[in-house]
Amino acid sequence: MIAYYGVVNDGAFWHWTTLLHFSLVALAGGVALLTAYRALTWARFPRRLAWTAVALIALDLVVLWAESEARFRLTHVYLFLTVQPASAIWWGAWGLAGSAALGLLLALGWGPRRLWGALLVLTSGVALLYPGLALASNAARPLWTPLMLAFMPVTGLLVAWGLALLFRQNDLRPAVAGLGVSGALLGGLYLVGLAFGGLDARAGLGELWREGGPAFVVALAAMLATPALVRRWPAAAGLIAVAGAILARTLIVHIGAFMPPSM
Amino acid sequence: MARYGMAIDLSACVGCAACAVACKLENEVPPGVSRLWIRLEESGTFPELHMQYRPEQCLQCDEPPCVPVCPTGASHVTSDGVVLVDAETCIACGACIAACPYDARYFDPRGFVSKCTFCEHRLAGGRPPACVETCPTLCRTFGDLDDPDSDVSTAIRGARRVDVLKPEQGTHPKLVYLNAPASFAPRREGALR
Repeated sequence: MIAYYGVVNDGAFWHWTTLLHFSLVALAGGVALLTAYRALTWARFPRRLAWTAVALIALDLVVLWAESEARFRLTHVYLFLTVQPASAIWWGAWGLAGSAALGLLLALGWGPRRLWGALLVLTSGVALLYPGLALASNAARPLWTPLMLAFMPVTGLLVAWGLALLFRQNDLRPAVAGLGVSGALLGGLYLVGLAFGGLDARAGLGELWREGGPAFVVALAAMLATPALVRRWPAAAGLIAVAGAILARTLIVHIGAFMPPSM
Repeated sequence: MARYGMAIDLSACVGCAACAVACKLENEVPPGVSRLWIRLEESGTFPELHMQYRPEQCLQCDEPPCVPVCPTGASHVTSDGVVLVDAETCIACGACIAACPYDARYFDPRGFVSKCTFCEHRLAGGRPPACVETCPTLCRTFGDLDDPDSDVSTAIRGARRVDVLKPEQGTHPKLVYLNAPASFAPRREGALR
């Protein structure tokens, strides 16, 4: 039996707004990367896409601000007044801010489009990579393994580009199919890694299975189904892939945050 | 500069929680969160029944995982080796709470993350942390780990066994547990720094 005098600080440190952020940052980063891709490859650049990227980044930042316990202290300015390269969130802040600035320049049609597009590849890449880095840097959380470094950007891009299929961006079909298969395979590899990991990893797998195992399997199956559907029904395939990617990401973040640092 | 550390002799702790109360009062810790709590653990069955009280708090790690993840540098280590949070620059992102293997940090309702500071305001005045001064069984010792004549170094040297929590995390805590009953073995760190 274990009991405590006093309160152990094992409550939620991230809330539903953080879960929303993990989906929004994928959407914002992925649409920003699509904007960069179009800026670099299309002769007639669709400015509406750049405006969409800027709007999504703004929405994500508003959600982050609203979620923060420090929202009225305005301390977030220190993200840009300090240099903390070891921190994933510091990189994320710069990735999003940079993407917003470049997206705005592209939307307004100011300056060299190709240069802004090339820089936007970098900043949107950082925005897509940082959630995985933020999770993987927590060695004490069994569900947030180093595989998050690959799983999060792949599923993040799948969220954005899968959704783009709803808007008839059909040239993205092969990419979405590839991302769907990659996401499912990485998810499977993640489960195998937990199963053959140490004591904490196996406890983590048990917790993931108890709290959302069937849902996680369904999410991986949805991503895996993308290539089979994407040729005939691109919009449906995109929607299914997006649902799968968001569900898998949410389960990992949510269950991983509530699981004690060590079982 | 000192390298402050603490040792808690588990064979002398009676679980009175005076340290937890002193901490709460000294640091005006808000309701619902703690900088210090007492873990009561029972194991075995009669007649081999064992019980242990273990006070837990921030372990003031030598390699604190909470510091590098901080995006503003609010989480930092002082020249005396104390891990602190600068409330003025903390954005309450929770990254440090996620990174801490010991659940030692919490959100202060005033909008920043907080934790045990080894009562740095008292240290500045030459006084020990409130928990150390309050303990009625003197199970807590505090001082400079680099000074072989300090109370804490003497206590560690004289202990039957020395343990740290979760040594596999590689955090090298500067709060160590002395003389833990063998049946509870918190797992010994390979090389205590």
